[in-house]
Amino acid sequence: MQQQLSKEELEALQEKIKNMSPEELKEFQKKQCIFCQIIAGKIQSRRVYEDDKCIAILDINPANPGHILLLPKEHYSIMPQIPEDEVSHLFVVVKTLSNAILKALDAKGTNIIIANGIAAGQKAQHFMVHIIPRKKKDGIRFEIPQNKQSEDELEEVRKGLCSSLGTRNKPGREDQLSKVQKILQSKKDKQEKTDKSKEKSTKKTKKKQGAESKESLDVSLDDITKIIDLK
Amino acid sequence: MDSEECIICQLVDGKIPTKDIYEDDDVLVVLDFNGANLGHSFVIPKEHYPILEKLPNHLVAKLFNVANKVSSAIFETIGCSGTNIFVANGIPAGQRIAHFMIHVIPRSQNDGINLGWKPKQLNEEEMSTIELKLKEEIDKLGFGSSGTEKQSQSIKETQKTNFISSLGDEEDYFTKQLRRIP
Repeated sequence: MQQQLSKEELEALQEKIKNMSPEELKEFQKKQCIFCQIIAGKIQSRRVYEDDKCIAILDINPANPGHILLLPKEHYSIMPQIPEDEVSHLFVVVKTLSNAILKALDAKGTNIIIANGIAAGQKAQHFMVHIIPRKKKDGIRFEIPQNKQSEDELEEVRKGLCSSLGTRNKPGREDQLSKVQKILQSKKDKQEKTDKSKEKSTKKTKKKQGAESKESLDVSLDDITKIIDLK
Repeated sequence: MDSEECIICQLVDGKIPTKDIYEDDDVLVVLDFNGANLGHSFVIPKEHYPILEKLPNHLVAKLFNVANKVSSAIFETIGCSGTNIFVANGIPAGQRIAHFMIHVIPRSQNDGINLGWKPKQLNEEEMSTIELKLKEEIDKLGFGSSGTEKQSQSIKETQKTNFISSLGDEEDYFTKQLRRIP
């Protein structure tokens, strides 16, 4: 994707970038950005949707067939730079694209993924939303490990985030609810015991989710059945 | 209500303790007690919607704007080098609870999270077929080439009806999943 530069050229370029004003830098990034060129039509792509604010193209290295990239036409590197009304527009489009994937490609689910920053897996300088069709056993394995967070650290982060978000720093629901928590926990423990014996034949991974996922599946079916009844 | 048994609805109702960081009439944001990283948050609609396609557009817009703000706040306070915004929509996508939610995950190098994939190889013909199918479906959904307000209103209506017809498959699928759990 990137051109080969000699060491001198690279240094000169870095120096040039350092001295740029923010506007110049944005203009420079745009010129370098492969997705801006796709949007401008200078590089070919398979467009499945376009309006005045964004375009949706098929990823040429898809996680699954039908993997869509939604790009704002304006060059933003990360999501926090995008104004509110544009975020609104983009994600209403995401909803429609996800809906289209479910219907047209016989997918049974979709993942919506945004990476802000290299550490998050961002590979291009242009903000984009990945919409990935999913089927059972499609070979994709995302790993989001679960780590027990300490109470003190959680509370500290909560306070920090609250003040950053301008949320009124309430004493926290957990204080007024500590009694309820104990009762619920004992109930949950009991429930888990009974569930464990029931779930012997299911997969190990399902076991972990225990009572929660079982309930949720019931809800989901109820919900969907209701809609079908309306028909 | 279909939401009676939903663990997230109980959480919204205050029946389960949370570490909430943001709340308004429609949205609640809580910290994950078992987050992948410290600061891992869930952006949750208070009303019970199982998947993205069921949410009204105004709520979709609001939820993702809140997620964006939470992501900015995470950058500011945690000092991480990145954030992921992640949605699992449907069971094969990794959804575990039938209440739509957006994950906002602080990221640092080598933190054990993997949201990557191995690209699949498709030939030109396969790509063209997919392109055509998607374009047709998106047109059917009423999304014209220019997304004006009036059109998005009609999209809303179209989606409602179209989605119901698509739920036939969905129902089969959810039913199958359910039957696998004795």
